[in-house]
Amino acid sequence: MSTEPRVGCAVDVNGRITFDLAARPVEGEQLLLRLRPKKGRPEQTLHVLCLEPAGDGRSRAVLGPQPVLAEGRWDVYLLRGPEGERQRLRPGLRDLRALVDGRLRDWPSPLAVRIPYVTKDGHLAIRAWLRPAHAEADGIDVTDRSMTVTARLHGASLGTGAAVQLRLRGRDGAVRTLEPQVASDGRSLSFTVGCAELATATGTGSGVWNVFVLPEPGAPLIRVARLLDDVADRKEVFVYPPVRVGGTVVRPYYTVDNDLSVEVTQAD
Amino acid sequence: MKISFLLHNAYGIGGTITTTFNLAQALAERHEVEIVSVLRHREHPSFALDPRVTLRPLVDLRQEKEHELHLRPARVFPRAEYRYGQYSELTDRRIGECLAGTDADVVIGTRPGLNVHLALEAPRHVARIGQEHLTLDNHSPRLRGALRRAYRRLDVLTTVTEADAGTYRRKMRLPGVRVQALPNSVPDPALPAADGSAKVVVAAGRLVPVKRYDLLVEAFAVVAAEHPDWQLRIYGTGREHARLQRLIAERGLYNNVFLMGAAAPMEAEWVKGSIGATASDFEPFGMTIVEAMRCGLPVVSTDCPYGPGEIIEDGVDGRLVPVGDRAALGAALLELVRDDERRRRSGRAALQNARRFAPGPVVEQAEELLAEAVSARRAGRQVARGRARMHQVLAGQGFAARDTALTAADAVRRAIRRGQR
Repeated sequence: MSTEPRVGCAVDVNGRITFDLAARPVEGEQLLLRLRPKKGRPEQTLHVLCLEPAGDGRSRAVLGPQPVLAEGRWDVYLLRGPEGERQRLRPGLRDLRALVDGRLRDWPSPLAVRIPYVTKDGHLAIRAWLRPAHAEADGIDVTDRSMTVTARLHGASLGTGAAVQLRLRGRDGAVRTLEPQVASDGRSLSFTVGCAELATATGTGSGVWNVFVLPEPGAPLIRVARLLDDVADRKEVFVYPPVRVGGTVVRPYYTVDNDLSVEVTQAD
Repeated sequence: MKISFLLHNAYGIGGTITTTFNLAQALAERHEVEIVSVLRHREHPSFALDPRVTLRPLVDLRQEKEHELHLRPARVFPRAEYRYGQYSELTDRRIGECLAGTDADVVIGTRPGLNVHLALEAPRHVARIGQEHLTLDNHSPRLRGALRRAYRRLDVLTTVTEADAGTYRRKMRLPGVRVQALPNSVPDPALPAADGSAKVVVAAGRLVPVKRYDLLVEAFAVVAAEHPDWQLRIYGTGREHARLQRLIAERGLYNNVFLMGAAAPMEAEWVKGSIGATASDFEPFGMTIVEAMRCGLPVVSTDCPYGPGEIIEDGVDGRLVPVGDRAALGAALLELVRDDERRRRSGRAALQNARRFAPGPVVEQAEELLAEAVSARRAGRQVARGRARMHQVLAGQGFAARDTALTAADAVRRAIRRGQR
């Protein structure tokens, strides 16, 4: 049996995470959060949390809204022993109910989202997003020739000349610009992507288009994504039907970072 | 007492695994408890197991999948058992050795094939409890025949519903064996109950045809049409995944219905919802119904054999609708979606009513059964007092004769099919 302790956690509407460890705190033990570095790069960002007794032979550590976590995946460790040896933690219950309807609230700028999740190898980690502004995708309506996306801005509002841009990943210059329908509050918008046009713009072969909102001319682009609920890995869960146009298949999907993209592939 | 459970695979996800862990952990408060897992395919169990319960795997598939003996078919484990293909001469041997060498006072089998091992191979001084998590009527005639011969050597046979216990008493002649319903237990939830405000319907189980998630998805269409802000989340994995995904796309429900993948434990997922749902054609017990209710969710379920009707009180803590009836299922969901107050009231009733499935009451029953079986073994007498009445004997013989005929007919059909190829 594994000796890795289990740690449960609960998140409140402000993003505060309370960790609950099923063991009495031992002098010198702390929780460590580490931003997972890219392969082969050294780790740079760490946060250490105090473990306090919580009665009933348990201990507790709190990650308040501050510090703001940089975007990425944060591994959670128990620091123990005189040398501060690290031990990974197995997940206990993750009470994320406060996150489920997060898209119904207005989020300030910068948008900071944290979702505790279980890694592929069965350990507790936190998925964090940190963006100056955010366009939260809601429903996507797929027909046999187009897809209509509704979204809502957080930390920015739409001005005159607002546009939606689809930018072809990995190739210079290919941009499709669409005019969105903007609600009177300047926050909600919808836009329709014509699948045949997108297929033509992709040219031969396959391509992936990333979706952005340009709130007004000259402003920074805002990535369209779906971040405001409890689902840390959306790609295999929010699945949309493919649209066939001629010899190509066009399909909206969420990336491994929960960003919205549209994939164009050649049909077999 | 020293208590040993014999389980197919403690490292997977499923109702039998959950309930065995729950019972083992509750018994570990006062007894020495181990779980023997015939198979192991990964390092850790999916469900956390109380460290007081010892977990002992017999065959580690990560190393022994190609073991010479594992490639030969099992001879003790009955051929007609559902999982026969996963058993082998190696499992036969390891289970046999494990039983021969056990120092437990009582061994509890958790599926038909393992109950057969237990009945045939447990040492004389060890009390033998067979647990039936499926149901007798669902077994093939051939399997019923095999069980009829072996189960006479058990001390106690437990079913998960009264209905199935009744069927066993009526159709099997098991003189001296105490047949009793012992419902599955669900531990006290660690999280606060759901408050009925979330616009989420939750279902959980393996994605297999009998669970009828196709029916649930179609029934949810009326909810999504009237209340587009409501979601249906289906947790679990299985061979129906691709078909369900296509159905969700065809019905245009991809903004409302989600296949969430596996979640273990489910507790943190139930509390994100405010209604539980089951659309099964057949549910030997209905573990997920009790789990959802213990988290404060009213459950809408088909009134299928056998469990749901013994768990849900229709109109009080949930709804029971006819099997396979999409319109009725959709209407029952819609009733609870539309009416916030009714949903909250039903949720509170569910929380209250499901307490009878807490480990406390269930474990007391289990302890009493185990103690009685152990003392009967020690005294060399049978657990079930009194003889089977004559009409029961005759009825049992009638069902045995019918199964024998059905088995023979099966064999003939197979022979004919072979001939036609």
